[in-house]
Amino acid sequence: MKKLALLPVCLLVLGACEMAPEGTIALPETESPFIAFNIWVNVGSQNDPAGKEGLAALTANLLSDGGTTQDSYDAILQKLYPMAAGYGYNVDKEMTVFVGRIHEDNLEAYYELFRNHLLAPAFDEADFERVKTQTMNYLERTRRYGRDEELSKELLFSLAYEGTPYEHPEEGYVQSVADLTLDDVKQFYAQYYVSNNIVVGIGGGYPAGFVGSVRADFNALPVGEVAPIAKPEPRMPDGIQVLIVEKPTNATPISIGYPIALLRGDPDFYGMMAMSSWFGEHRTSFSHLYQVIRETRGMNYGDYSYIEAYPRGYTTQVPPVNVPRRSQLFEIWIRPISTTAPGNLHDRTLFATRAALRELKAIVDEGMTEETLAATQQYLRNYTINWASTVSRRLGYAIDDDFYGIGGDGFLGSIRPGLAALSLDEVNQSVESYLQYDNMYIVFITRDAEAMKEKLLSGVATPITYSGEKSAEHMAEDELIASFPIPVLEENIRIIGINEVFEGGGD
Amino acid sequence: MKVLSKLALAAVLATALAGTAAAQGSDGIFPFDYRLVELENGFKAYLIKAGAPNQIAYVSMVRTGSRDEWEPGKSGFAHFFEHMMFRGTDKYPDYDAITAGMGAARNAFTSSDRTVYYLVASNEYLEQIMDLESDRFMNLNYSEPDFRTEAGAVLGEYQQSATTPFGFLNERVRNAAYDVHTYKHTTIGFEADVRAMPEGFDYSLSFHRRYYRPENVVLVLAGDFDLDQAERLIGQYYSGWEPGYVAPEITPEPAHTAPRSLTVRYPGRTLPILSMNYQAPAWNATDRQTVATQVLGRVAFGSNSDTYKKLVVEERRVQYLRAGFGLLRDPGLLSITTMVVDPADVGQVEQEIQTTIERFQADLVDEEIFADTKSNMKYGFLMGLETAQQVAFSMMTYVINTGGIEALEEYYRTLDSVTREDVREAARTHLIENGRTVVTMVQAEGR
Repeated sequence: MKKLALLPVCLLVLGACEMAPEGTIALPETESPFIAFNIWVNVGSQNDPAGKEGLAALTANLLSDGGTTQDSYDAILQKLYPMAAGYGYNVDKEMTVFVGRIHEDNLEAYYELFRNHLLAPAFDEADFERVKTQTMNYLERTRRYGRDEELSKELLFSLAYEGTPYEHPEEGYVQSVADLTLDDVKQFYAQYYVSNNIVVGIGGGYPAGFVGSVRADFNALPVGEVAPIAKPEPRMPDGIQVLIVEKPTNATPISIGYPIALLRGDPDFYGMMAMSSWFGEHRTSFSHLYQVIRETRGMNYGDYSYIEAYPRGYTTQVPPVNVPRRSQLFEIWIRPISTTAPGNLHDRTLFATRAALRELKAIVDEGMTEETLAATQQYLRNYTINWASTVSRRLGYAIDDDFYGIGGDGFLGSIRPGLAALSLDEVNQSVESYLQYDNMYIVFITRDAEAMKEKLLSGVATPITYSGEKSAEHMAEDELIASFPIPVLEENIRIIGINEVFEGGGD
Repeated sequence: MKVLSKLALAAVLATALAGTAAAQGSDGIFPFDYRLVELENGFKAYLIKAGAPNQIAYVSMVRTGSRDEWEPGKSGFAHFFEHMMFRGTDKYPDYDAITAGMGAARNAFTSSDRTVYYLVASNEYLEQIMDLESDRFMNLNYSEPDFRTEAGAVLGEYQQSATTPFGFLNERVRNAAYDVHTYKHTTIGFEADVRAMPEGFDYSLSFHRRYYRPENVVLVLAGDFDLDQAERLIGQYYSGWEPGYVAPEITPEPAHTAPRSLTVRYPGRTLPILSMNYQAPAWNATDRQTVATQVLGRVAFGSNSDTYKKLVVEERRVQYLRAGFGLLRDPGLLSITTMVVDPADVGQVEQEIQTTIERFQADLVDEEIFADTKSNMKYGFLMGLETAQQVAFSMMTYVINTGGIEALEEYYRTLDSVTREDVREAARTHLIENGRTVVTMVQAEGR
């Protein structure tokens, strides 16, 4: 169990900073008409018992989308409607949060609903069946046919964390969720939703004394013993290890990565943050990979890299909050590459993979330059302000700070000085410590997986063509990319069908 | 139950971002003073002080979207053109590098009626942004090879969502529900047109020449900045822009004379999705029945409606139920979409929805649900005004449909005056059999 004695956090305080009671994180912004809630339960998918993968997520889902002892679910929807408000949840490996946001006019009525959904759940059988049926539909169909690129990332994490509590996706497997019962949910709630395992986060224009009274409400929950989960020990790939998912699709997403022993708050974090921003800042043209693969070659919609988990990146421009982890991957995300554009079925996919690996090799071998580091420092100095534009997001960051044990001005406040203080030597020492290109997991989702496997093993060049003219210099570089080695052994290439993905515990 | 008067809302909003601006007047919903700058060439800019210290949101709204792609074979060009706007000018060849130097969050998006470009940045860059943005709107210059390269990125964007259940369904609903209007194609375009894009260089130049004109673009600048300085800069940087907008030759969709129904087969796995669509009126801020139509979608199918309660919560026969009654610049569609748990139940669910429609045509909506819904629409607006970017974006509907933000006030005045009888009349007028297109999507094979 983490410590709950927290220092008051007062980011962007417009008024007085009230001392936050124990077990709370308070971000008063007295002139804001909005109040944001973020209730952090110190439980995540890592706590799912074996064979019951998905239980943490289903529990949070039922609390969020079910009735309470005061109101049926339908009555809750009726009451929330005139306020144009709702509440939601997020379950990650380590953390479950329940988030809400309301206008100050409606605080009292809203808070009653918000509190009850966590403290007085009805555990109604009909609600459970509804939520479980929706989850099963997601697992059997939506996850496999909704967004191939998100699925390829989930598979990458699953490969790297095989045999650890981080292995399974938060929503679980088809088979494990199919077997979950309402009693499982009730037991999970009783075990983990105990007062000493919950931190109350509140931000915005709430009235004096409000944080204390909310904390007192949550103190009505029983106290319980929560056994700690050992930190996951991810598997470093030995050479290149490939998973190909066979699926009838016209474009192939690519996820590449490996574990890195680096967390937010570590001394090397800012150096690697600068590197990854330059190499692949999320969904921006600042990303070097984007410049190489999309801007110059028009191969896909974007190409990015990460040093922290970034689930559902296709839905957002700003980093997710409340997905902190005790272990992270270095990750490259190559958005779907057309397999029906002119050329051989898989050549473009393998060309893009080679381009990314070649750029990775270049930064490992050569490091950043004074010029690229300065440009990145200049860029991130203002760009990162956008990560904290709302009180809900600032509150999310404050909770993550507590998870990582980051004090002072918090992570957001540390970015500018942390980056400004970096020297090129420091950055390149970090790059040398954490980046490599020999050992890598690679996931593809594509049609005719066997043909891709054969092509990978053959080592033949995979050139691409263009609809317009390119310079001789460009074409010379393409030739190098097309034959950049991906040294992979046959026993390290695995193929599975799309309808087997995350079916049971063994994928 | 809580019904806010306009006065109360104005007071609420005035405190929303206190210290920035006084309310315009006690009878208005929009709490911020704004300044309209209008140039002789027809260019309009709205300056709104709102949001956090030192930040600005610079949002250029082009009143052109996939609606304007009226020439055969050119669907998807408004969106493709949006990509090209980041390819630089003679004066500033590297747009990406300059905005990166500012640390600006910048992007753009395109939909049926609009193409919107935005930068969120520190106010220290206001003049530089004004220079950069006005320059690219006036003087965009890209090479044919760059154009051809970018077409590949668009194909990638098309393919990453075309095979998802909703990407697949959306294409087919539009194709079935329109015969002649350009809303027949999705914003990203027909696949064949997307594949032919590399050959469209000359057309792209003409697209820019006709649509990227001062009469067709509105700037909304929200944030923390000096109004007088901003006004001066707008005159300085945008006055030289030559007018010359050429309206697209869009054929109106006639009223259909018979209902349409088809089943499409999704080449993956999905529960059946039922999409019921009706011919809609065009967006209008002052017509009571038109605004009542938007209320109708919520009261009949929203999360507080009887039908939602029955189908989603109590009987659990559908996974979700959504009403898309947002209106477009030209008459579009009123859509009711639901995912049915049991494939054998699709016909019965369709009948439930039809019964709901008939009930709203015959009876007046429940008073409490009606009042709650008006409150929901107003608080929905309020809750979305936290940041400068949100304030600017909240103006989009009004700018795109009318060319200015004044219609915001008109819209909420009309909403206040909408009666239950108006809602019933909207159901009688628009949810009619002959205007209906039902598309049922089932999976091609497997469980």
